Amino acid sequence: MPESRDDDDNDLLAGPVPAPDDEPSAAERAHAKAFAELVDKTLAGRTPPAMNTDDRALLEVATVIRAASGNVELAQPRRRVLIEDALRQAVGTRALGTSGTMNTMVTAIRGTNFRRWAPWSVAGASMLVAAAAVVLWLRAPHRASPAPIAAAPQLPENERMRPADALVGPIAREQAGDAASRIDAIFADRLDGYRELRFGRAP
Amino acid sequence: MAADPADAVELEEEQRLVEAAQAGNLDAMRPLLDRYAQPLYGTVILPRLGDTASAEEVLRDTLATAVEKIGRFTWRGKSIYPWLRQIAINKVYDVHRQSKRSRRLADAMAQEVPSETEPETHADAQLIADQERRSNRERIDETLDQLAERYRRAIELRLIQELPREVCARRLNVTIGTFDVLLFRAVRAFRKQFGDDDA
Repeated sequence: MPESRDDDDNDLLAGPVPAPDDEPSAAERAHAKAFAELVDKTLAGRTPPAMNTDDRALLEVATVIRAASGNVELAQPRRRVLIEDALRQAVGTRALGTSGTMNTMVTAIRGTNFRRWAPWSVAGASMLVAAAAVVLWLRAPHRASPAPIAAAPQLPENERMRPADALVGPIAREQAGDAASRIDAIFADRLDGYRELRFGRAP
Repeated sequence: MAADPADAVELEEEQRLVEAAQAGNLDAMRPLLDRYAQPLYGTVILPRLGDTASAEEVLRDTLATAVEKIGRFTWRGKSIYPWLRQIAINKVYDVHRQSKRSRRLADAMAQEVPSETEPETHADAQLIADQERRSNRERIDETLDQLAERYRRAIELRLIQELPREVCARRLNVTIGTFDVLLFRAVRAFRKQFGDDDA
């Protein structure tokens, strides 16, 4: 719709209407064409949501004429949607079941109350649990600090560690591949230490 | 006027549905709303508003109010339609009060539908809707009769017969551009006449 209008067009609704044979101005032609397109869209069921006040007023008149002539029907699907919306709006629930009776309504009302109080119930219960936890923590006896670990009895060094260096000594190049004999020697030494600890002491 | 047996059956069914709704079964309202949604929209609401979106909102609010207040409705052996119609008219005036726009459309269409339908006539809903439809059309025709012949023809061809612009232009022996101007002026003239008569 053109935004710029000449003086004749500014008082569109209040001004006099020219006679049918009066020559239209360019602005009136443009406005008339735009209005004709609005009517086209409205007849096709696609009325634009936004338009200027004057055009809306004229389009309302056109719709009144059409409605009074019985040309405007509310399509069945749209009618169903409006009816269901109205029922929801009235009852305040999502939908009435197909077997809706008084029980449905009561359920709906209960549901409404439940939805109203549920957040407060959850919040209240959470606060009670938190308060109980704080009270229990404050009233719980403080645990004594753990007893110090007793010092390990002193053992001779050969019972705490048995270095293998002295046992194996430097490994000659030609005996480098004979690891098994060295492992056997170390194992036998550790076994000696075990026997000495296990059987060499008085019970 | 003698009662039509078919209408009597419809009225008995309507009474049963109303009583069920008043007893708490609001689903019983659904067939009633479905039966009267179109007459309310087409003959009561839209001719007083002229805007389809607003008319749909008013229809929805009307039906919701009817469901909410069905308990207050008193069955007097006549259809529920006049009660629904009155709710719809009140809602239309609420819209005009809020928007202060096109009030005279509602006023122009405001005529009392004769309420003295015979008590024994069960077809009161249909009767009232038909009367209102005729009355609306008469108001339009009266206004059209006061317009210049070419304006009246432009409105009849485009808005009542809903012929395409090209066809309308051919019928009037003018170009499409000239027809657009004619229709534009015709609607302006109609609005002026419609409002002036009833303001």
